[in-house]
Order: sequence, then structure tokens, then C-alpha cells
Amino acid sequence: MGDCHYLYGNYMTIKRITFLQELLTFLGLEGRIHLAWISSAEAQKFVQVVTDFTEKVRALGPNPLPTFSHNKKAALSSVLGRGMGKTPGSSPPEPALQEVYP
Amino acid sequence: MECKLVPSICSYCGTGCGLLFEVIDDQIVNTLPMKTHPVNEGKLCIKGWNLHEHVNSFLRLKQPLIKTFGRFIKADWNEAIGLAADRFRNIIDQYGPDSVGVLVSAKITNEENYLAQKFARAVIGTNNVDHCARL
Amino acid sequence: MQDTVKAWLENGTIDVFLGYKKVDNHPLPHCFTKARLEELEDLVVSPDRYPLEKIATHMTTAKPEVKIGMLARDCTQRALNVLYIWNQLDPEKIQTLNVNCCPSPLKEKADCSYLRPATVGDYKKEKGVNNAALLEQLSEYGQEERLGRWMYEFQKCIKCYGCRNICPVCFCKECSLEHEDLIKTGALPPEIPVFHLIRAVHMAGRCIDCGLCEEACPMDIPLRLLYRKVNDIVAQVFDYKTGTSASQSPFNILGDSVTLEPKPIQLTGTDS
Repeated sequence: MGDCHYLYGNYMTIKRITFLQELLTFLGLEGRIHLAWISSAEAQKFVQVVTDFTEKVRALGPNPLPTFSHNKKAALSSVLGRGMGKTPGSSPPEPALQEVYP
Repeated sequence: MECKLVPSICSYCGTGCGLLFEVIDDQIVNTLPMKTHPVNEGKLCIKGWNLHEHVNSFLRLKQPLIKTFGRFIKADWNEAIGLAADRFRNIIDQYGPDSVGVLVSAKITNEENYLAQKFARAVIGTNNVDHCARL
Repeated sequence: MQDTVKAWLENGTIDVFLGYKKVDNHPLPHCFTKARLEELEDLVVSPDRYPLEKIATHMTTAKPEVKIGMLARDCTQRALNVLYIWNQLDPEKIQTLNVNCCPSPLKEKADCSYLRPATVGDYKKEKGVNNAALLEQLSEYGQEERLGRWMYEFQKCIKCYGCRNICPVCFCKECSLEHEDLIKTGALPPEIPVFHLIRAVHMAGRCIDCGLCEEACPMDIPLRLLYRKVNDIVAQVFDYKTGTSASQSPFNILGDSVTLEPKPIQLTGTDS
């Protein structure tokens, strides 16, 4: 802390990231944002953090947001889901969900 | 310094939401929804919220333009009205009054809209009147 | 009340007074001046609130030396504190006439348009977020359900910008919500949840919980609840209570008074 090239940069960063983590948890997107202090000399740590976080995100699965923004019905059907809001024949085919992770 | 809040009705569509214009030193600076209005109960759409913007817009026409040889040339009111009247006369004589249509705007007042339909029905003699925000 | 305002206007404490005047049974915000003192007889405390602070900010922008008096509820006081912090108003040029507000043991006879009982339909109860819910009640939902419920609320948005336009503490000339790269024009609903989250993040340490945004929302999105959570985080993490004093917001101060540490990655137990 305080070693930032931009003087107070990382103080502001941690304030904002901590806040954002809380806010996203409130909305139901917990654990998809992570902050770690890694200096340019700590290559090992960088690899470790990225590997760990990738593992974690993979465990969480694909980002659920595209299902909402591309398809209004998904927002309605997601919670109690089970294909509500579908009127056979009249509705256009639903767009395919974006694959975020292969 | 003078600040007035002038109650008015949104002119964008036929719903008729109540709103307040914030007038500071004779300049309309903001629009607020009227909380007690029975139609909109303190809510507005994006068009209503921005109703004040076209009033002081620099894009507004301040004098008539006549299109001559493909270009708009500034003209005075007598000339422009005279030209319009002559052309209307010619068209009505040649093709009948129903060849003319009057399309009025949401951005003019109710009274002006009334005058425009009166002009269409009584002067030109056609029922071809319409409004861009007819719901 | 009338006498105080009359005295203020006459002895030059203030140039104008922002209050409410009854016009054909509609209490409308009105600007009382020394030139028309007789209008003060119609001065009322309206149960329907308008952002008087916002009008005062506009007047100050037009003429910085004007001295403004205004009718102030508790939310007005908080909004004024925030506007002082952000240098939009000068506390020396503002006089407030405090009136009754939200109910509390001290103030039993409250009068505020927010006190009208909120009605929530069955569909919203099942799929969305109840506007009158408490933050604790929301945390009872699981992660996935909470996201679904919020997204249901956000996708109703018709992008009227009403929440921003009526907000007493929104004063920026350039708004991120109008930035081409952040919010594309012409799409409905606006990019969710980005549109609402940008506004929510900007409300951190600034929202004074007046509820005007929710009142102005044509789609009944529980904005007050969202911003209340945002300020709840600010209060818990930074111990800063927005609007209660004229001290700087934690996002505004540069400095080394931070005791926060990055959180470790939790590989299990994501659903808390």
C-alpha cells in the first residue's frame, strides 16, 4: 500500500473495488471481481493469482448477464423459469445464449 | 433575479402529462413533472423531460427561407406568405382541395394546432389534417 | 411561517424564497420575492415534494450572488449538505426554514408524499423486488434469485432519465449516462444492468435517500432500495453517513486513511 506509481492510486482502487464487490454481491454476482497487489517483480505471485481466479470463475460458470440483456424474456423466466412467457407459434425464435467460456 | 415555475401540459403526445417549466430570468432552464397532476402523477417520459430544450435551441428557424434553384434563401414574411398562398391557389384550382394535406406539429401550442385545422377545413376545404403525435 | 419569510425578505436576509404555493388546489413550487409579498398568504407546506435544492442550484448557476431561502424537510437538509460539499451551493447564501418531515418519535405528525402506502402487485411480488422491502429481506434470497429479481426490475426501464433529472444531488454538466461509449443510444431497455449500476455507483456517498427518483420512475423500479444499499455499504465500509454533515465523501478524499485489505479468493462457499 502506498507504493503506487500514481501516489494515492491504490488507496482509491481498494475503496472502489471493495465497494463494487459489496454492490455486486447485493445484486447476485458474488465473487466475480478480485483485487490483489502484485508488483512488477512478483511474476510467481501473478501467475498464482490469475490461475486461482480463473479456477474460481470457471467454477462459477458463464456470466449470466448476456442471458438478460439479449433477451427480455430471460429476465422474466430466469427466476421461476420453466419456460414462462412463451406463446407457441407467435414469438420469434429466441437468440442463442452467448458462450462466454468454451 | 426572478424564478417562475409555470404549469403546462406536455405537447408531445395526446396523453397530456402535466409539467412545470422552470423559468429563471425569462429563460426556460428545466422541466419538472407535476406531482399532483391526475394524468402522470409525477412521472414523465424522456421526451417530456426534455421539453424545454427546443425552446432555446440555436437550430430554430428565425426567419422564412424560400427554396430557389435548390438552395434556401432568406426571405421576408410577406414574400414567403405571398408565394405560399399563390402556390396553394394554383394547386387547389388545378387539382382540387383534397390534393392538399396539413400536417401539424407537437411542438406548437394547442391554439396554433386549432388554427391549423381551421385553416385546412375552412380556407383550403379539405379534411386532410393530421398530427405527428396522434395516439 | 409567513411572518418569518416576510421578515427575511424585507430585511434583505434573502432575495428569494422557495416554497410551495397553492394554485387551483395544486401545491406547486413557487419563488416568493420582496416585490410580491402578498403572495406569501398562499405559502403552504406541500405533502408533494419537488427538488427545491435543484431549483436553487439552477438559480445559483445563473446568478452566483443570489441569496436563497427555502422550505426544508430533513431530506432537503441532507441534500444541501451534499451540495455544499461539492461546491454547488454556498452555505452562507442559503437560509432554511425547517418544516416537519418523516415520522419519528420526535416528529409524529409527518407529512411527506413518500408516506403514501406503496401498493405492490402479485406479479411484482413473485418476479421482482418489492419497493417497500427492507435490505435484510432481500438478503434472504439466494444469489441467482436475487440477480433474476433485480434484472426483472431493470429490464422494465424505459430510459426516461427521470431518476437523474429529478435527483437533487445530480448536477454534473456531462453525465456518464449520456456517454456514447458507455450507454448506446436508441436501445431499449438500456444496457442492463450497466445503466442502473453506473447511476448506483455515482450515488455512493451522495444519495440522500429522499426517494424522489423512485417517485419519478414511470416503471416503478425500486431505485430507493438500490441506492439505500449503496449508501449502506458506504456506511459500513467507510463509516460515512451521507448528508448528515458537511464532511467530504470517502470517494473524494485522497489520502492514506485506508485500512482495507484485498479479500482472498474463496474457492468454495460462494453462495453466502
